[in-house]
Amino acid sequence: MTFDFSVTRTLSMAKKEVRHILQDPFTLAVALGFPLLLLTFFGYVIDFNVKNIRLLAVDSDHSRASRQLMEVFESSQYFKLTAAPSSGQIVHLLDEEKAKAVLMIEPGFGKDWARNRTAKAQVILDGADNSIAGTILTYLSGIQAAALKKLSGEEFRQTITLKTRFLYNPELNSQWFVIPGLTVVIIGIISILLTALTVAREWENGSMELLLSTPVRPLEIIIGKLAPYILIGLGAVVTVYLAARGLFQVPFKGNHLLYLVACALFLGTTLAQGLVISVVARQQALAIQLANITGMLPSLLLSGFIFPIESMPRFFQIFTSILPAKWFMVIIRGIFLKGAGLLDLKTPFIALFIINVVLIFIAAKSFKKDLEP
Amino acid sequence: MPSEPLSIDARHVKKRFGTTQALRDVNATFQTGVLHGLIGPDGAGKTTLLRTLMGLLRPDEGSITFTKNKIPVPFSSIRPTMAYMPQQQSLYPDLSCSEHLDFFRDLYQIPKNLYQERRKELLHITRLEQFADRSASQLSGGMYKKLGLMCALLQSPTILLLDEPTNGVDPISRREFWDLLYRLLAQNILILISTAYMDEAERCGHVHLLDEGAILAHGEPRALLEKEQVKNFDTFFINRAHKGAGV
Repeated sequence: MTFDFSVTRTLSMAKKEVRHILQDPFTLAVALGFPLLLLTFFGYVIDFNVKNIRLLAVDSDHSRASRQLMEVFESSQYFKLTAAPSSGQIVHLLDEEKAKAVLMIEPGFGKDWARNRTAKAQVILDGADNSIAGTILTYLSGIQAAALKKLSGEEFRQTITLKTRFLYNPELNSQWFVIPGLTVVIIGIISILLTALTVAREWENGSMELLLSTPVRPLEIIIGKLAPYILIGLGAVVTVYLAARGLFQVPFKGNHLLYLVACALFLGTTLAQGLVISVVARQQALAIQLANITGMLPSLLLSGFIFPIESMPRFFQIFTSILPAKWFMVIIRGIFLKGAGLLDLKTPFIALFIINVVLIFIAAKSFKKDLEP
Repeated sequence: MPSEPLSIDARHVKKRFGTTQALRDVNATFQTGVLHGLIGPDGAGKTTLLRTLMGLLRPDEGSITFTKNKIPVPFSSIRPTMAYMPQQQSLYPDLSCSEHLDFFRDLYQIPKNLYQERRKELLHITRLEQFADRSASQLSGGMYKKLGLMCALLQSPTILLLDEPTNGVDPISRREFWDLLYRLLAQNILILISTAYMDEAERCGHVHLLDEGAILAHGEPRALLEKEQVKNFDTFFINRAHKGAGV
C-alpha cells in the first residue's frame, strides 16, 4: 500500500468544515457559547463557599453574654441573624426555608457563664441540605473559640492548639478548585459532541458516499474534518485559562508547556472518542445522545470535578480509571494549583496516554472506508 | 488528452446483505463511447451494482475487471478518473453551487486555469450561471441533480457512473439532462446510467435489464424490444411480473 496523503485535499476538507460551522447556529453556539455559559455558571452562580447563612436566633436568656454570643455569629460574616418570633415556630420556619439554622440560647446562659459553669446554647441545622449543614458544622468550632475569647474578654488559655493550614488553596476558595477543572468539562463536551456530529452528519447527509468516490482518502477526511475542532478545543483551553487567571484570580503554579501538552493529549482522546461515536451512530440525533452519555456525564459527574472520586463506592473508584476525564482532572488541578511536574503526575499521564492510544486505534480501525454495512 | 477505450467487465458478481440477495449472478460489459443504461424497477439491484463497480462495495463472489485498450489494468489506476453520482441526495445543503465546485476542485486537485475554464463551461451547459451563489438546499430538483453532475464532471472523468440522476426531476429538466449526457458522450467517455423510468431506456445506446439482482437481457434498445416482441420496456417488466405471479 502506498502512502498517499494530500495536504490540499485535507485543507479543502477543513475549509469546507469551517463553512459548515459558520453556517450552522447549533455548532457555533456549542463552540462559542458553551465555554462562556459554563464559566459564568460555575464561576459566579454556583458558589460552594457558604456565606450569609440565614440563622434564626431564639434568645430566651436576654443577658449580656447571650447578646455577645449572637454578635460573634453575626460578625463572622458567615451568618445573617434574625430574631425568631417565638421558639414554637422554629421548625415551621426551617420547613419554609426561611432559615437554614437556628440558634437557641436557653434561659440561664448568662448566669451559668458568670458562675463558671458550662453555658449551653443549641444550634439546630436543616439536615435536608446536607452540603450547607456540613459547611455550617465546620464553622461552629471556629465560632465557639471566638465566643470564648469574646465572652471572657481575654485570650483563652489553650493547652493544646491544633492549627489547620490548607496548602495550595488556603482559603478553600471553591472557584480555585472549580475553574481549572472546567477545562476538562469544556474540552470533553466540545470535542466529543462536535466531532461525533461532524462525521455522523456526512453519513446522514449522504455526502459520505460521494466523498468516498472521490480521490480523498479516509485519513484526509478525518484530519480535515477534525482540524477546525482541534482549534476550537485549544481556543476553549486558552479561554478558560485566561478567565481563571484574569476573572477569578486563580494562581497558576505549574509549567505552561506541560499544561499545553496535557491539554493536547486529552483533546486527542476526546476527538478519537467522538470519531468512534460518529462511526457507530451515523446519525446526528443518536450521536448527540451517545456523546452526552459517554462524554458529558463522565466529565461532569465521574471526573472528580464536583464529587470527589475518593468518596465514591469502590466500583466507581475503579470504573472511573478508564475515563480519560478523571486522569486529566488530576493533571490539570495538579499543574494549576500545586505546580506539580511531570514526575509528580507520572501515573495520570501514563494512564491518559494509554487511553489515548487505545481510543485512536479503535477510531482508526472502525472508520469505514466504503459503504459495506 | 487522447482517451483510450476503456471497458468494465463484471463476471458472476454476487452480493448479499443479510437475508437479501441483492445481486444474484451479474454478467455485464460496459465500454467507452456507448451510453449504457441499467434499467430496472426499484429494488432491482441497480444501486448495489453501481456501488460495487465504484469499489464502494466488495462483491461476495465474482470479479470486476477494468481494461484499457483491451489490456486489464488495476482498479487503483482507473479509480482516480472515475466519477460517480449517487442516487440519494449527497450534496451539502448549506453550501452554494460555487462552494461545491471549489470544494471538488481541491479534492480533485484541478489546476486553477483549467478549473476556471471547466467551471465556466459546466455552468454554461447546465445553465446554472445565475444560480452559482444559491445554496444547494434552495435549488429545484432538476438543478440539484445538475449541480451533482457538475461536481462529477469537474475532473473530466473517463468513466461516469450515474445512479438514477433523473429520478424526481420534471420532464423538461429530464430532457435537458439527457441532452447533456449526449454532449458528454461525444467526449469519448464511458457512461453508465441507471434508471427506473422505462421510457428513458430507449434513449440509451445499450441497455441491461436488471430485476431481482440478475440481468434479464441486454442489447441495443430497439433490437431488444423486437427480440422480446414487446412494444416498450414497461410491457416487458409488466409481462414478467405477471408470469412470476402465475397470471
